[in-house]
Amino acid sequence: MSEKLKVKVATVWLGGCSGCHMSFLDLDERLVELFKLVELTASPISDLKDIPPVDVGIVEGAVCNEENAHVLKTLRKQCKVLVALGDCAITGNVPALRNQKDLGEVLARGYIETESTQAGEIPTEIVPPLCPKVRPIQEFVKVDAYIPGCPPDADAIWYALTELLAGRKPLWNETNVRYD
Amino acid sequence: MKTLTLTIDGKICAGAAGQTILEVATASGIEIPTLCHMKELSPWGGCRMCIVEVGGIAKPVPSCATPAADGSVVVTKNERLDRLRKLTLELLFSERNHICPICPMNKGDCELQMSGYKFGIDGIRFPYLYPALPVDLTGKYLGLDHNRCILCARCIRTCDEIEGAHTLDLGNRGVKSQVIVDLNSTFGASTTCTHCGACVSACPTGALFDKNAAFHGALKRCAQVRTTCAECPVGCGLVVYTMDDRIVDVFGDGDSPVNRGHLCVRGRYETWAVKRERLTEPMVRRNGALAPVAWDEALAAIRAATRGLKSGEKGLLVSGRLTNEAAETLAKIRPSVSSVGMYVAENEAAMCGDPGAARDVFPLLQEADAFVLLGADPARLQGVVAARIRVAVRKRGAKLVMLNVRSSDLDAYADISSRMVGLERAFWKRVADVLKGRRKPVLIYGPNAMTSLGVAAMEKLLKTFDADCGPSVIGLPATTNALALSAAGVEAVDDLSRWFASAPLRAVHVCAADEPAGGARILREREVAGCLKAMEFVVLQTAYFSRLVELADVVLPALAWSERSGTITNFEGRKLPLRPALTPRGQARDDADILESIYA
Repeated sequence: MSEKLKVKVATVWLGGCSGCHMSFLDLDERLVELFKLVELTASPISDLKDIPPVDVGIVEGAVCNEENAHVLKTLRKQCKVLVALGDCAITGNVPALRNQKDLGEVLARGYIETESTQAGEIPTEIVPPLCPKVRPIQEFVKVDAYIPGCPPDADAIWYALTELLAGRKPLWNETNVRYD
Repeated sequence: MKTLTLTIDGKICAGAAGQTILEVATASGIEIPTLCHMKELSPWGGCRMCIVEVGGIAKPVPSCATPAADGSVVVTKNERLDRLRKLTLELLFSERNHICPICPMNKGDCELQMSGYKFGIDGIRFPYLYPALPVDLTGKYLGLDHNRCILCARCIRTCDEIEGAHTLDLGNRGVKSQVIVDLNSTFGASTTCTHCGACVSACPTGALFDKNAAFHGALKRCAQVRTTCAECPVGCGLVVYTMDDRIVDVFGDGDSPVNRGHLCVRGRYETWAVKRERLTEPMVRRNGALAPVAWDEALAAIRAATRGLKSGEKGLLVSGRLTNEAAETLAKIRPSVSSVGMYVAENEAAMCGDPGAARDVFPLLQEADAFVLLGADPARLQGVVAARIRVAVRKRGAKLVMLNVRSSDLDAYADISSRMVGLERAFWKRVADVLKGRRKPVLIYGPNAMTSLGVAAMEKLLKTFDADCGPSVIGLPATTNALALSAAGVEAVDDLSRWFASAPLRAVHVCAADEPAGGARILREREVAGCLKAMEFVVLQTAYFSRLVELADVVLPALAWSERSGTITNFEGRKLPLRPALTPRGQARDDADILESIYA
């Protein structure tokens, strides 16, 4: 298949641990099959920063800061089908644990009270401001398909991607879905 | 009983009047999804997963709380119900902080997670509320994380209806509703919690969890061994969950005719969630200190030390926890050790002897309308029996009269509770007034009914019940297998110093088996340490370290409860199996095998 006919895909890594992208790489030899049909554009794996217009946008991670929201909205504009990859994107998951605390407490814990920190201060420049609450991506943009899991295993990712490539929405049931 | 006929999903189903739609459907093999329902508990109708359509009713109804009506047409599955059930699950998931990867019930032990899988919930359409909720880790054995609670009230109903303690309830209103302990206290500070752990078994999510089991392995992936709790003579069925030859958790066996899944703290937690120092190697005292040796060497040391002794100079003091099979061994080795005694609880020896015919006691407790406890304290020793009594008193208005030697947690539920001393005519009049008109009274007596005061009280009591319906009299011993062992010819001893004096003993073998405190309770009788010290040679056979070890010349490692096999006979006369859940630790060996290799 020529490069032009390939389905263009971009992936982004918001507030998450990168485990979902690792799980994506766990497709192993199936990656060879996948890249016969798919062209990966901007992605933490390819290191291309600017998101071009693509067919499928895949999102790992929750929206934790203003940059996350910006990247998410950009991807939504640039893609036809948006896929939430993993529990952080879908539920907020572990990053959302900080929602129990006031933002000031969270920042102080991270930048000042950390055991290894000496004379720390809360940054005001360069790093994007945190959102008051960590939120899943469907609270910001329309999501077309979900791949639950923390992380979703390679089989779940393979199932979802092959379904999407076949023009179908992945359907989940007790045989193929996991939240853990 | 009036029978009903319903059409459920096109199938003609028969039920009885008073049954719910869910009960009729389940009995007919039609599965309806549920979350807040438990068949042992009263209907709640809180989660709305079990909704069904009933012909003639516009709105779906919760099948768990809707009585089946004759001739009604019920639909349990269609697109609308499926849509509504998914909606319910989405609302449940978005309401609190259900973060599967950090939950101890992750990997399939959570009914909410499994429902999510079953209904293919992949994303939630509602904004998550992310409430900041507390976690109560003050409980001795269990934790309560409100973040994972779905307010199904299964814990509340279990605590109220099965354990009868009513420690848990629902506090606040609406979205702020929360399970509360006592009057919004904590498990650590609770004055009513019995630590039975039934709430944890009932919890469908990870809101209530066993602290010692959390993150030690998914129950779903554990091996399960069904065995019998050997902590007291009730003989509750246990399901021991193990992984990699270690215990992950212990729950009650729902199929057991004795406890029907319910346990008390002794069987549920004390056997595995409390650290005990295990003895795993034979040891022989050399130059004043115990040194680990091989089994052959330990046995040789015993033979060498006892070679010159006559049968009558050797004593064997055994625990009442030994199995029926061990009793056969004891009979076999009798010629070489003539003085065999079984140490039991205070005043318990007089309860032993003829065990009488086997009978089902639990149905009697279930139906009783009055309980008289004489010298028995099930709240301390046989919690599952205490639970039945509390439920009967609180739910059915049964009367409770207690005559004991010390205070009991059941006193608070009693109509009359008194020590056994100084009872006058007015007292018996009050007892008679309480018991008047009771048709199914039960008299439960324990070891402390065997004192002269207890026997006198028993005589008085038996005359106090209405003449035309005397009580079912139930003996409730304290020691696991004391009745069956004594019936098999092992003499029960509750005065140990007298036993020591009754024969010209020069060597004694204490077989404590797997007693929790390593058999050290025999030292409670003040003279016993001196009696042991006066012996030329002391052998201790035990699973756990204790103060007794210091008094022994040879120490032999016995199997723990989780490694034992054989049978014990409970207070009803039921022969119940012990099945090993773990392989023996270290060099530990079966009690009967050890006795046989020394004395046979």
